[in-house]
Amino acid sequence: MLFNSLPFLAFLPIFMTFYWATSGRARLWVMLVGSLFFYAWWDWRFLSLLLFSSLVDYSLGILLEDERHEAMRRRLIVISVAINLGLLGFFKYFNFFVQSAADVSSALGLHPTYNALKIVLPVGISFYVFKTMSYTIDVYRRTQKAERDLLRFTTFVVFFPELVAGPIVRASRLLPQLARDHPFSYERMVSGLTLVASGYVRKVAIADSIAPLVDIRFAHPEAHNAWSLLIGVYLYAFQIYCDFSGYSNIAIGLARVLGFDFGINFDRPYFSRSFGEFWTRWHISLSSWLRDYLYISLGGNRGGTWRTFRNLMVTMLLGGLWHGASWTFVAWGGLHGLYLVTQRLIGPAYQRVIRALRVPTVVSNAFLMLLVFHLTCFGWVFFRAHSFSNAFDVLSGIAAMRGASLADVDNKWRILKCAVLIAVMLGFEAASFLRDRQRAPEFSPALRLAFVAACAWVVLIFGTFSGNNFIYFQF
Amino acid sequence: MSDVRRALIWLVALVAIVIAGDHILAWVLRKVVVRSQFRYSRLYRGGNSADVIVLGDSRGLAFYAPAIEELTGLRALNLSYNSMSPRIAEAILLDYVEHNRPPRMVVIEVTSAIVSGALTSELRTYASLSPRLAALYAERYPIAAVAGRMFRLFPLNSELFLAVLHYMRQTDQDWIRRETMAPAVRTRPRNHWRLAPFLDNVEALARMVGLLHQRGIEVRLVIAPYGPSNVPVNVAGFADLIARRVQAPVWNYAGAVADPEDFADQVHLNERGGRVFLRMLQRDGAFGMTRPPARF
Repeated sequence: MLFNSLPFLAFLPIFMTFYWATSGRARLWVMLVGSLFFYAWWDWRFLSLLLFSSLVDYSLGILLEDERHEAMRRRLIVISVAINLGLLGFFKYFNFFVQSAADVSSALGLHPTYNALKIVLPVGISFYVFKTMSYTIDVYRRTQKAERDLLRFTTFVVFFPELVAGPIVRASRLLPQLARDHPFSYERMVSGLTLVASGYVRKVAIADSIAPLVDIRFAHPEAHNAWSLLIGVYLYAFQIYCDFSGYSNIAIGLARVLGFDFGINFDRPYFSRSFGEFWTRWHISLSSWLRDYLYISLGGNRGGTWRTFRNLMVTMLLGGLWHGASWTFVAWGGLHGLYLVTQRLIGPAYQRVIRALRVPTVVSNAFLMLLVFHLTCFGWVFFRAHSFSNAFDVLSGIAAMRGASLADVDNKWRILKCAVLIAVMLGFEAASFLRDRQRAPEFSPALRLAFVAACAWVVLIFGTFSGNNFIYFQF
Repeated sequence: MSDVRRALIWLVALVAIVIAGDHILAWVLRKVVVRSQFRYSRLYRGGNSADVIVLGDSRGLAFYAPAIEELTGLRALNLSYNSMSPRIAEAILLDYVEHNRPPRMVVIEVTSAIVSGALTSELRTYASLSPRLAALYAERYPIAAVAGRMFRLFPLNSELFLAVLHYMRQTDQDWIRRETMAPAVRTRPRNHWRLAPFLDNVEALARMVGLLHQRGIEVRLVIAPYGPSNVPVNVAGFADLIARRVQAPVWNYAGAVADPEDFADQVHLNERGGRVFLRMLQRDGAFGMTRPPARF
């Protein structure tokens, strides 16, 4: 079920009614059944996979906690990680690895015969596998107590707002919240609905309006001039941001209305002045997951400069692969790894130059923001392209400045509409930066009412109602 | 006051403000729509006295109105728009003659008969001004039509509304593509494709031609040029079919322009190509009036 679909708009009030009419374990059952229904709307057959994953990690969590022998505990955690990565590997990467192996063999002069399997990627598998895997790793590290209530654990895994596209809410945050009832709160409802409304504007009015403009440019880069392609790349940067942050806002807002705190998943990432900062602001639940369970497990920055660089590269390459079974995603991750390494190499020298030249902080910050944004856009080309040749067609079209006339760009009005909406959104983000700095009080319910109403008008007049999938569903 | 009660008051206030704001904003924006210089705003505002009206899809934009006026001295109004099928063009034409002085000639780009009518969705912006467009929209998008009656802003949610804003103070009649075909598009191998008209579009063409003949308005059914490697293989048969069904000659220029510099892509002429094409039409007497102006 999509958040931006009519079935969901019908599902939500029914779910809310049952949710607020119950308490204790009955409420957990409502959450479980409602979440399974939400998932089954897409494909009920994959419920078994979801429940299997929950049952395995529930059992392994208890075994890990009860087991005293370290060798046995290590074996158990290896089993947990192997099962989780095995599921992910089979459903998401099987054909990719087989195809890649065949490509390498062909390059070496061998011509193996192979059959690709027709595998349907279960929606949300990357998210719920990471969630359950982090749970068992935390239990293994003894930073998390094993959950012994199967109903509560399964509800933690399948809770619908974050099930299919995150944020990846870890057990340490969500399980304690599931252990108690959340009374209805007026303040939480108002602030939750405010977030939901902003999420719909981002998704329906901005991301979905941008989508066809980007699609046509990446489908036929040869038919577009340099300006048109450049605009397509910029637009994609905001499409993916608004699509995913929109989904996250809706998920976090819905959870807040229900009484849950998911934290934040995006924190104005395009205002970042470095790539280190970018990754603390973009898809925070994933980047912190990769930091805690991959980067630190590899040694983090404890083994000297070169080991730190290696760990950064490995983390970002695998983070890229997590996004999709394609070498273009790996390249995207690799680019970000390179950005992070380069930043560590030249960052101190840059700071010395800035100080020596007495460049005002505001100028330096603006320059860094623009630099980080443009390098991020460069990376998005590989993320969006369906192949390397497609990415190079886009980049070479821009670099060649072929037919570079702004007047010849197609769909000017739609682009202008998107640009205005993006500018307004960035204006709000910049204003929220200043509010955070001044530690301004929360907005009043009356102001939030006006904001939600304005969001509704924006969606009505600028929304795209084609029921587009959220981009991160495919991951 | 309990939290539940405060929440209910907040939600009721929200619904009331959304609906009230929706109605007020829509009322203001509909005034904006009518005042624009965009082609359909001009149509529904009335008072136009064009001699030549052009109808068609994006290929109809090749009939560049300023060039027609320069060549012929006749006042021209191009009402073509991307994806406009003859069924929609019929509604537009009937609305035009209701709101304005009837033209002396109507030029119809007939390959628009292969268009399925996607523009119907966009034309909802003018549905409140045209029962014909409203009916077409409701026929194709029944749920959205209901949504449009509930929320008045929704019908304004279209590319046409953006065009309305863009052409608030300037004419849209110089709207034509000006770029030339990208090299990669130019060198594409010959495309062997066929024109496959929709039956209801052909019937709409026949109705339009019948009505125009009945009212003494000249009709020109024309096929504008295609890119050199994109001329449909069955274009002659298509022209014959339309001419037979519609009972009017079809002026076929599908392969008349061979210079890639005259095209924006393989389907659309650019401004330069449009002028070349219009000179051909003028040379062949397409803009010559064979009847006196119609009287109403």
